[in-house]
Amino acid sequence: MKKMRVAIAGLTACSGCQLALLNCEDELPELFEKFAFHFFPMACSPALLEGEYDAALVEGCLSMPHEKELLLELRKRSVHLIALGTCAVWGGVAALRNGEDREWLRQQVYGHNPVASETFEPLPLHRVVKVDAAVTGCPPEKEELLRLLAGLTRGALPVGIDYPVCTECRMRENLCLLTERDMFCLGLLTLGGCGARCPSLGVPCEGCRGPVPEANLAEALEIYSEKGFGRITVLDRLRRFCPEWKL
Amino acid sequence: MAPQYIASHNLAALLDRLRRYGELHGPVRGDDEVVRFAAIAPGTLPDLSALRTLLPPKKYLLHPQETILNYTAAAGYQMPAEEVRPLILFGVHPCDLAGINYLDRVFLGDAPDPLYAARRSALTLIGISCTPDEFCSCHISPSPLNALTDLSLQSLADGYAISSGSPRGDELLEGVKEILEERDIAVPEDTRRFFGQVAAEPLRQELDATLPDWQTLADACLGCGACSICCPTCYCFDVLEFGGLDGRSAVRLRQWDNCLLKCHAEVAGGMSFQKNRAERFRYRYRHKFRGFGPLQGIPSCVGCGRCRVVCPAGLDLRPLAERLDEGRHEQ
Repeated sequence: MKKMRVAIAGLTACSGCQLALLNCEDELPELFEKFAFHFFPMACSPALLEGEYDAALVEGCLSMPHEKELLLELRKRSVHLIALGTCAVWGGVAALRNGEDREWLRQQVYGHNPVASETFEPLPLHRVVKVDAAVTGCPPEKEELLRLLAGLTRGALPVGIDYPVCTECRMRENLCLLTERDMFCLGLLTLGGCGARCPSLGVPCEGCRGPVPEANLAEALEIYSEKGFGRITVLDRLRRFCPEWKL
Repeated sequence: MAPQYIASHNLAALLDRLRRYGELHGPVRGDDEVVRFAAIAPGTLPDLSALRTLLPPKKYLLHPQETILNYTAAAGYQMPAEEVRPLILFGVHPCDLAGINYLDRVFLGDAPDPLYAARRSALTLIGISCTPDEFCSCHISPSPLNALTDLSLQSLADGYAISSGSPRGDELLEGVKEILEERDIAVPEDTRRFFGQVAAEPLRQELDATLPDWQTLADACLGCGACSICCPTCYCFDVLEFGGLDGRSAVRLRQWDNCLLKCHAEVAGGMSFQKNRAERFRYRYRHKFRGFGPLQGIPSCVGCGRCRVVCPAGLDLRPLAERLDEGRHEQ
């Protein structure tokens, strides 16, 4: 069978999502049988952008002009473009300070030293190109990545998840950290699929997978408020991973 | 014959003897204070003071997520080989027993579900009496479902009246008889009496879609699914199939679903039979309080109160049910 040509690129991000893929060690031999990783600068050299791709997996948000060029190039050359991880899907932590004065922010970090590249407000991929599928998470779940790739070999894109972290948390019969322990858990508003990884260990959900479809923010804010977490606190926390959360 | 009696101090001995018949599970309080049905460790007692576990016993019969078929190119689709071992559930309250009765009607009906049937036949149910709290509603709306047990324990001052409800129960009683006594005691009625009641004439009219209650409920619902996950009779499931990386294998999964979620009524092409949460609440209400399909007229709510306890928004369908039932002749 002909191998699928795949491009894997990282934009503004920590490379953790690409690493999540490389961490699928048991499956790597199988992956190399099915996929030709033609463009994967983080893992394979040389990294030459050439020809067409069956799929491009892109990690990170956009914050520099050359990233926009790369993304547009990948979009043109790929049948499917897939946003890989929270930064690509929602903007992520790089977009945390969106809305603030960029020159001031630059000075906070670099002082008066010159900066190598021009930057702009970080954007999730869907603001610039058509995204065919998304695998969210910081980083994405290994299982989700492997299912995505296995699906691609059949020409299928993943089915979206429509339930919040709470759903899987309840299925695991966990103590509810929000209602029973008054902890600041964002499970109610956050997309599931992680198996309630953090709350299962007694750690409140940080919202790293971004918003669940049909999130009821108004009612959730009421509940958080009853627990002593005000609107600003909740929105600030939500926007750490998804700056597009709005009232 | 005088009722059989077991003294409280003999409970540990009873549990030890029951272990001979299978793995013994019951309500166990965890370090996090959550009470769950779980294995009762030898030398420990279950928590019989708790009125409800977080998940009902349905988790043993219908797992939250499970493989229902495996595909390989050589063998095609195959049922997973599951070793089903005898399981004894100790300390099950009448509402949960009625919940199992409902699941039996669904999964052992016309086309029995093989996984469910195998697990169910390996299950021994030992019920225990309880006193309803403010979240319970078994005593408010009697149910036509049956709270059937193999053995039943009814709390008395210093022990339990114990009785059999099946040939399996007779066998167990025989096996533990050396720690039982016959006592001339008055056995009080327990909450089992609210079950197995004659069902009211099923209401066949469609629920009024214009009732403002559906939207009021929808506005407060967070869509977390806790109500149905924790419901002893919510059995809706989703079926997902994932092909393997090798291109020659696949696994088909079944996982708990929830009628308040977006995907529940979605079909190919992204169409949906229930586009918004208000419509989904009407559907949920219908299933819980009117019943549908072959179980039309059999409400599936057994009054355990879990949905009210776990809902982060404190939603409760009961007041609406009471109002609609009162006005049922006017509808």
